[in-house]
Amino acid sequence: MEFSPRYHHTADMLQTEQHLIEAAKQNPEHFGPLYDKYYKQIFGYVYQRMDCKDTAFDLTSQVFLKALTNIEKYEYKGVPFASWLYRIAHSEVMQSFRTRKNLRTVNADISDLRNICEEVEQEYMEEYKSILMTVIKDLPEDDLQLVELRFFEKRQFKEIAEILNLTETNAKVKLYRILDRVKKTLTKSNKNGN
Amino acid sequence: MGTKFNIDRKPVPDEEINSHKDFGELIKTFKKQSIEKARSDTNFLKNKKITYTAIIAGATVLCTVTYFSVFKSKETKQTTYDKITTIPLQTNAQNSKSNKAFIVPPISKLNVPYQKFKLKSEHGATLKTQSNSKIIVPKNAFVNKKGENIIGDVEIQFREFHDQADIIASGIPMKYDSAGIQSHLESAGMIDIKGYQNNEPVFINPKKQITVELQSTQIADKFNMYALDTVAKNWTYLHRDNSLKGQKPLNGRADSVAFVNVNENAKTKTLQKQIDAIPPKIEIEKIVYSKKINQLPKANEPTKPSKAIEGRPKFQLDVNAKEFPELATFNNMVFEVGSENKNYNSKLSEITWSSAEISEGPQKGKNYLLTLKLRDRIEKLFVYPALTGKYFDNAIKTYDIKYIEYKNVLAKRVVDEKRLKEEFEKKQTEYLAEQKKLNDDLIKERIKIRQEEEQQLANQFKSIGNQQRVTRIFQVSNFGIYNSDCPNSMPKGEVLNPVYLVNGTTPLLNLSYSFLICANKNLVYNLNTNEPLRFNPNEKYSLCIIANGKTYMCDHETFANNTSNKQNKISLKEISSDIDNVVDFKKALGI
Repeated sequence: MEFSPRYHHTADMLQTEQHLIEAAKQNPEHFGPLYDKYYKQIFGYVYQRMDCKDTAFDLTSQVFLKALTNIEKYEYKGVPFASWLYRIAHSEVMQSFRTRKNLRTVNADISDLRNICEEVEQEYMEEYKSILMTVIKDLPEDDLQLVELRFFEKRQFKEIAEILNLTETNAKVKLYRILDRVKKTLTKSNKNGN
Repeated sequence: MGTKFNIDRKPVPDEEINSHKDFGELIKTFKKQSIEKARSDTNFLKNKKITYTAIIAGATVLCTVTYFSVFKSKETKQTTYDKITTIPLQTNAQNSKSNKAFIVPPISKLNVPYQKFKLKSEHGATLKTQSNSKIIVPKNAFVNKKGENIIGDVEIQFREFHDQADIIASGIPMKYDSAGIQSHLESAGMIDIKGYQNNEPVFINPKKQITVELQSTQIADKFNMYALDTVAKNWTYLHRDNSLKGQKPLNGRADSVAFVNVNENAKTKTLQKQIDAIPPKIEIEKIVYSKKINQLPKANEPTKPSKAIEGRPKFQLDVNAKEFPELATFNNMVFEVGSENKNYNSKLSEITWSSAEISEGPQKGKNYLLTLKLRDRIEKLFVYPALTGKYFDNAIKTYDIKYIEYKNVLAKRVVDEKRLKEEFEKKQTEYLAEQKKLNDDLIKERIKIRQEEEQQLANQFKSIGNQQRVTRIFQVSNFGIYNSDCPNSMPKGEVLNPVYLVNGTTPLLNLSYSFLICANKNLVYNLNTNEPLRFNPNEKYSLCIIANGKTYMCDHETFANNTSNKQNKISLKEISSDIDNVVDFKKALGI
């Protein structure tokens, strides 16, 4: 089977990873290297959406437990192992909002908001901060996911598509529509401000 | 429950994250969970497969301690994994803190221009660029933001980058971060491609690919393909550049330049606007002219009275003078029944008709249609106005006067019409002359642009003249910036804390950009202006520095002389601020 080295740098690394997965399927003890490799990334993903650090650590453990429990079901069909883990993480995080009533949190830097402005060809202004925060907070969950993955986590569309189980074009199109709305809101606020 | 928004939250230190990593605990929980699951199964002991699993699970609990010793001994390997996965994230975060736009041409007047092409999406096209590169667009290659196939004109905007001057002018960052290792990309050719329909961006159909065959003078087979991710602010490795497989480098200059499209500038756009505005102006003049013609007094020729014929049946009717002005002047007029009316008999004259209506007959001004009605009976007769005796003589006199008046009005109208027509034609001629002049100017300007572009291209490709060239193939699935590159580490060898002196005397402060240009490779290092200058003394370099809105350069001879004895003073020369195109910039840099 051929592996795309798109964001794993080399096909060799993907091949090595596939061996580790096969080994972990045979013996859970062999899941260790995968756990070590992805722990920080998955924690980062979970904590990006949570307010409480301890809850994020708990959920990260849950994600790996679920991954280990279901690793037999994982087969390489074009979706890298990392994306599979992110899908589990997403499902766990969403579950925690529903059942444990954890607070859905969006975490971003000012530079991320600047990036969004740049993407919609608007010069960032201080007054845009609160507007952008409101617009982003009010997005439907699916749209919010896209914005988070692309702008706050700086992921490539290919990876975003794999995590969200979309085609790359579909991810782009959806994000374009969201940005279109953001642009209109900023332009409107600019006009009202003037 | 609402959503909370945190701005600039403190990142969790790596040590804290690592302290929560506990694979042993994970395995323990997993085994516990497996055993509990197995126990909850009512057929637990009956099912051989599950029994087997449980035994394995039990056995692995015992093995956990062993795992710790095994994996702790592989600490180096774990660090490697961490490095691969975590460092790029940190670097991206650092990159993203920058408040600058990602792609900023460092010299405000200078950039690599886009070539624009129009094609029908449903037909596709092979477009030839100014450097003789090809853009092969298959049929139905575009979708809109809804993912629907696009029909009609699509504009492709394309630019290509071949050397260090193009790289500097474009402001496209060539730094590459691979697993935390910083390098600069040596380019074998770079492209920037976009698509629009009615100024709205379009997307490449996921089932299609655009192929770009780029002419390149870099013939080495050591390059990889990268795409620029403008949000992650890093290049993304795509695959090895295999486009040279089975390809022999060609000698000499590229084929003659084939222009598919000419770039427009502000002047040509203004001229085109002025040209487009002329036909509507002529149309307006035409409307004004027609209105004036209509307003001229109308010359209505009076009808010559006819003398009534003895014995011919007649009707005496009241005629509405407004409806038939030509009859208004005739007093005591009668209407003779024409001999062509076969339906007429004398009894018709004896009937008292409930209505008698006159309308225009087939011979305008000469005969009329008389419609007689009584209940359901309708009779239609062609009648002729006529006058008898003295009434006829008086009518003739009135007619003569009216006819002279008519002739005068007619003569005046002819003169006025002629004058108005001449006025209109004069204006129309003036407009058409203006249009022709503007058209000529536009053609001249376009020729000038083309010549400049040809010159630019000739200069751009002058090095190809005696060099070998190859075609590098880019398969484009998404619009953006693509590069055939080879990462080069930062130069090593000598380190200087340079003092830049303009013309060897005036110190230069507040540097905005500092580019170290490799003479032997198609490579530009974008240096951090606050850091010492590192370079390999065995390589040939020149420098391009931008400070206080001005551009300076240090050619490789000066650079070599200034740095040979490890002195830290580097002499710079200012580049003319008039330079607004890459060709002149290239000349100024000595590329």
